[in-house]
Amino acid sequence: MDPLLEYHVQQTRRQFFGTTGLRLGSIALGGLLAGRGWGDAAPAVAAERVHPPLPGFPHFAPRAKRLIYLHMNGAPSQIDLWDYKPGLRSRFDEDLPDSIRHAQRLSTMTSGQKRFPVAPSKFAFAQHGRSGTWVSELLPHTAGVVDEIAVVRSVFTNAINHDPACTFVMTGSEIPGKASIGSWLAYGLGSESNNLPAFVVFTPTFPSTGNGQALYHRMWGSGFLPGRCSGVALRGAGDPVLYLPNPPGIETTDRRTMLDALNQLNQQSYERLGDPDIQTRIAQYEMAFRMQASVPELTDLSGESAATLEMYGPDVKRGGSFAQSALLARRLIERGVRVVQLLHRGWDQHDNLPTALRNQCLDTDQPIGALIRDLRQRGLLDDTLVVWGGEFGRTVYSQGTLTKDNYGRDHHPRNFCMWMAGGGVKPGTVYGATDDYSYNITENPVHVNQINATILHCLGIDHRRFSHRFQGLDQRLTGVEEARVVKEILA
Amino acid sequence: MFRRVCPPMLRGVLSGWVVVQWVVALAAAAPDGVRFNRDIRPLLADNCFSCHGSDAGHRKGKLRLDTVEGATQTNAAGRVALKPGQIAASEVWQRINSADPEQVMPPPDTGRTLTPDQRGKLRQWIESGARYEPHWSFTAPVKAPLPAGIAGNHPVDRFVTARLAAEHLVPAPEADRWTLIRRLSFDLTGLPPTPTEVDAFVRDGAPDAYDRLVDRLLRSPHYGEQLARHWLDVARYADTHGMHLDNERQMWPYRDWVVGAFNRNLPFDQFTIEQLAGDLLPEPTVGQLIATGFNRCNVTTGEGGSIDAECLFRYAVDRTSTVAQAWLGLTAGCAMCHDHKFDPISTKEFYSLYAFFNSAADPAMDGNILRTAPTVQIKRAEDESRLAEFATRLGAAESRVEAAVAGVAYVDPAEQQPRPPARDESVIWLDEGIPTGFKTDSNPTWVDVAHGVVFAGAKALQREGKGVVQDVFEATGEGFTLGLNARFFVQVYLDPANPPRTIMLQWNRDNWEHRAVWGEADGVPWGEKGQPSRAIIGPLPATGRWVRLEVAAETVGLRAGDRVKAFACTQMDGRVTWDQLGATGRVDPAADPRHSFAAWRQGYEGKEPGELPEEVRRIFKNTKPTERTAAQVQQLREHFLTRVHAGSRSVFDPLLQEVAKVRQERTAYEDGIPHSLVWRDLEKPRESFVMQRGQYDRPGEKVTRDVPAAFPPLHAAGTNASRLDLARWLVSAEHPLTSRVFVNRIWLQFFGVGLVKTTEDFGTQGQAPSHPELLDWLAVEFRETGWDVKRLVRLLVTSAAYRQSSRVTPELWQRDPENRLLARGPRFRLEAEQIRDQALFVAGLMDLTPGGRGVKPYQPPNIWEPVGFVGSNTRDYRQDMGAALYRRSLYTFFKRTAPPPFMAAFDAPNREQSCTRRERSNTPLQALQLLNDVQYVEAARHLAQRMLTVGGGTREQRLRFGFRLVLAREPDARELQTLSGALERHLIRYEREPAAAEKLLAFGDSRTRADLPASELAAYTLTANLLLNLDETVTRN
Repeated sequence: MDPLLEYHVQQTRRQFFGTTGLRLGSIALGGLLAGRGWGDAAPAVAAERVHPPLPGFPHFAPRAKRLIYLHMNGAPSQIDLWDYKPGLRSRFDEDLPDSIRHAQRLSTMTSGQKRFPVAPSKFAFAQHGRSGTWVSELLPHTAGVVDEIAVVRSVFTNAINHDPACTFVMTGSEIPGKASIGSWLAYGLGSESNNLPAFVVFTPTFPSTGNGQALYHRMWGSGFLPGRCSGVALRGAGDPVLYLPNPPGIETTDRRTMLDALNQLNQQSYERLGDPDIQTRIAQYEMAFRMQASVPELTDLSGESAATLEMYGPDVKRGGSFAQSALLARRLIERGVRVVQLLHRGWDQHDNLPTALRNQCLDTDQPIGALIRDLRQRGLLDDTLVVWGGEFGRTVYSQGTLTKDNYGRDHHPRNFCMWMAGGGVKPGTVYGATDDYSYNITENPVHVNQINATILHCLGIDHRRFSHRFQGLDQRLTGVEEARVVKEILA
Repeated sequence: MFRRVCPPMLRGVLSGWVVVQWVVALAAAAPDGVRFNRDIRPLLADNCFSCHGSDAGHRKGKLRLDTVEGATQTNAAGRVALKPGQIAASEVWQRINSADPEQVMPPPDTGRTLTPDQRGKLRQWIESGARYEPHWSFTAPVKAPLPAGIAGNHPVDRFVTARLAAEHLVPAPEADRWTLIRRLSFDLTGLPPTPTEVDAFVRDGAPDAYDRLVDRLLRSPHYGEQLARHWLDVARYADTHGMHLDNERQMWPYRDWVVGAFNRNLPFDQFTIEQLAGDLLPEPTVGQLIATGFNRCNVTTGEGGSIDAECLFRYAVDRTSTVAQAWLGLTAGCAMCHDHKFDPISTKEFYSLYAFFNSAADPAMDGNILRTAPTVQIKRAEDESRLAEFATRLGAAESRVEAAVAGVAYVDPAEQQPRPPARDESVIWLDEGIPTGFKTDSNPTWVDVAHGVVFAGAKALQREGKGVVQDVFEATGEGFTLGLNARFFVQVYLDPANPPRTIMLQWNRDNWEHRAVWGEADGVPWGEKGQPSRAIIGPLPATGRWVRLEVAAETVGLRAGDRVKAFACTQMDGRVTWDQLGATGRVDPAADPRHSFAAWRQGYEGKEPGELPEEVRRIFKNTKPTERTAAQVQQLREHFLTRVHAGSRSVFDPLLQEVAKVRQERTAYEDGIPHSLVWRDLEKPRESFVMQRGQYDRPGEKVTRDVPAAFPPLHAAGTNASRLDLARWLVSAEHPLTSRVFVNRIWLQFFGVGLVKTTEDFGTQGQAPSHPELLDWLAVEFRETGWDVKRLVRLLVTSAAYRQSSRVTPELWQRDPENRLLARGPRFRLEAEQIRDQALFVAGLMDLTPGGRGVKPYQPPNIWEPVGFVGSNTRDYRQDMGAALYRRSLYTFFKRTAPPPFMAAFDAPNREQSCTRRERSNTPLQALQLLNDVQYVEAARHLAQRMLTVGGGTREQRLRFGFRLVLAREPDARELQTLSGALERHLIRYEREPAAAEKLLAFGDSRTRADLPASELAAYTLTANLLLNLDETVTRN
């Protein structure tokens, strides 16, 4: 290949899909280059993907080609959803024994409390599916697909407050500035879509009873990785992609006329100056033009069957709802997008947990069940990894007043539950265990870094070999310490 | 970072190696051309140092290869890693070439191997004596003589051209004047030149035309704005705290100080000292205190539940790392957990540096407030006289209250004969504003009939919102006491177009568990349904008219004698207007504290009621009723009459409201006097310890303030080294890094890439400089000439290297795509702020007012809101209006957790961490933004208006005019033809569809002239939009 062209192609790999992760269709680029007299090379360019993987990626045959990550922000109560503790019924309002609590660190929201009264979950649990996994009555739809999933009941993390814990679960570091898991995957694996970003994020609405913590751009940002790997937030209100539609009074044909002239003038600049970045810019404007068509097509649900829409529930028609975001997640991965993340807020139940948690589950459970079924029906679940979880767990003891019907729970980083389903996961598994109070891990602890290592593994990446040099260090999603892939939950 | 376990056998073999201290080994370059720093150190660093480097904690086999002592030590087994000149006796060489997987280095599981070329170099180096060199950046720079035999006198060019000659390249010719003035204007002011400025420069035939242009731009007030932007990236400046609520923080005087410092050309050594230790200077000026805000710019938290020690630790680590990054160009942060693997900073040395920053007086919790102490107040000239004015007004208002007391003829009903009968009474609590003796933090909206509906009087309370929203009023004094059979009442008006789901009144006696709800019982989350804590009174009242609601006090668990200390009007969704809220009840004047002075006193005798003012409280607490002086009785009586007595309300409420109003105005005025967060040390410094594995709760060895041993020693003025000593050390003559690091970053700003590309890393893992002698020459020159930044800038931009044409041939591109050799002029995309500023500037929209609080220009909905924490004061983006929309981008309000989209899309950092260089991406999101964002479309419309009104009479003149405004040059015939063709098509289209033209012209807040034909203005707008999107427009060539 012509060395200049080779450089150019490398540049396009690096730059063509910027923050959105998009690039001009290869045909247009090939055409431009062919027009510049480098005709022989054009087919090679045309064959190229818009978001190519890094050389050598994936490291081995992946079990999952894409990831849907359902992040329940605020820390869902493991005791009321997944970690069934029938023995607590009889211990209502007893003090949490010192032998369980030891002198462990508490958040300063409850460290001043005089008592730590045990609050058993007021919700009924039942075994479901062939696997017989215990699931709370709050999650009937997830319970219906429980044979597809592997629950880890022994996840733990370092941080005890939301901001550092969220930053940790998403970037592998409590300190802002690192790359998010989605951007790591976009960076390493690229994407199969030539029309959409490699990594898409939703921040759906949540019930008014929920205690909404803040989200941070850093949770889907690219940190030290190239900006093009950053997640693109598909917005539930307003334009789905920022500045996507033409201004009022400008139609597609007007834009086309304008872009044709713009391209011509840019081409003339290129001829004068020879800077290949100009060609890149021409390509980006063409890509932007194409996105103006591809994104509305994505968000147009009129082609979905009534049965599908019904499965996701009535909220699926409401823009920005969790249900609609879940359905769009499926549509995105169908179109080849690598990572879709739903960051659902409101799970921070320091008080009024019974009412608020029920509403949180009403908002999300049916769409999640539907998403798993939908993926299964379309044959997508086999090579799509679905992950569910928050940033830490909640205490068995009540924060504030405890009554039979009402209680709250404080932050608890020592153990919480996450689950995975789909590509690479051993379905119907339950892994790890906690003590009678869901306060300490008794069996098979799994650090958040191990969860992330496992996610990367499912996607065909050896997390130890996936690093990026920044500030003189080989940065890694899974940190400095050795992090084990949790093979026990993998098929 | 590369933890791996040595194979057991290897461990045995190497166990005899001795640990040595890091020592700079001095040696010259190998004569044959293989040089340690250039060829060998990077190879060893990548492949060996993670196990055999300076980190003692992770060192394997006790062998270190980063020092000559370590590498040439004989171990217990009698082997030597490196035997200079003897390849066969060098264990390193044997191991690298071993076929045994247990023996070979690097071990196979690291995935690292040496290429044949690397092996060749290593062999050559060992054979020629294995001479080490100190890492280039850790020894002080010296000025090499300017290369000889090169034409020209400019020092920069002497070095650049010599290097080019060595590469058999020649410099490019000088760029044309149009290109030069645009390049220089953007680089020195961040703004494009005006056509007048362009013409003047192009026509200026004097030999010093260029130099005078440089001088003019260096004098521009916009020079400081341009240079400051880069420093603010380094300083991680922003307008919010950065974590959790991410509330607003008042720090902008620091930003303005940086702008000012560059404009007045504050020498860089002083710039350094003032920012790191301005508070320690003798009698520091306000400006020097503001400067110390540098290390208050870090991200802080106010999240409930956080652990103080952990937060304080984080802040100190961030501040230490930022200083190391900004001045030393080192990534010291790694050493917080373990000895630095590649650079000579041990964990202990890191914490010794950290000790300088570990005693900051600011709290662990920022409190989510605007001015987290310590701050400095920045009084302006007029402030003293205005504050005196308030004092006078307040005195007058208070004396009117005192005068009125004298005029009241009060007889206590308890002393009346016959005793007056009990009677029903209705008291309005809330009517025309915040009730006397109450306060609110909920920022209530009072509407008059022109802006809403009012039941009675001039004003009513209105609120509109999504979710649960409310106005809360809290007593600062005694609150309201309920009579017998009390009933609450309120007038309410629900907007038929936007009704709420639920409305609720709440009262607080000891807590808030007294609620009355109308409408959806689940609309609000608090209390228990059917209980006084959430009493369901009935359905929502009719919308579109005033309805009086009533509820008996006992329904919500309140009874006669209860004192209501706070109340709230709450709603779920919708728009609700409230008026005349109050309570009725039966009172016996002779026994009621609001009527009887005696009854009122009786209620407080012997107590220490917190709700009363200090002096009144003290009388009740300290004196018996019989022992009070006349003055004390009078004081009690005055308080009773002015604040409590029901019959005197009509006299005193207006007077007290006047007092409150003046107080409020004074507070508002004082709030308007800016503060800035500053650095101050605690009275008693905190002790510092090595924090094991970087954990806040695992202190190890105690440390004292010091600098890493690899650098020149610190000279402390006292027994304990101070930040001032540290700052002076940084700018001392013998310091190897400070000057190089800063010069390099300035170079980056003008040439697009630093001489050291890794501006953030001058350590052994960073890239070597492209022109080492030039960097050192500049670094020494900069220091020797008084750290004069403008002089340095002038030196760079007057070089021929800077002035070259950027035109590139495929051959040259292939040879040097990043233009590190400088065989052509620098050409790169403008930065985020420059792109926006340019559009506003050429449109004639820009407001060049400097400084002040961050402004909020156009931003699409749903940038802040979806990420914002409920209750955050930066959750709802309230766009500014008028001129504030068009300020320079430097002054845009910067919220860290959701940065302005125009900044984020064009690679501005999010200011959570120090950033020394920005990426330059090229993405379709950028294209969409420049094409469709209202601020660029509006700018295009104004540019179009300029083209039509002052551009000339013909289409060609107008197109030329617009082209010149944007690109600072004349279009050629082909370009004109292309533009004209597009314009023609747009004209036809908008003449056919004038409605579309009107729609386009209505986009954006500002108006353009109504007398211009809409279709023509629309067609020109689209053409101007094209001009603003040209590659050449967004590039500084």
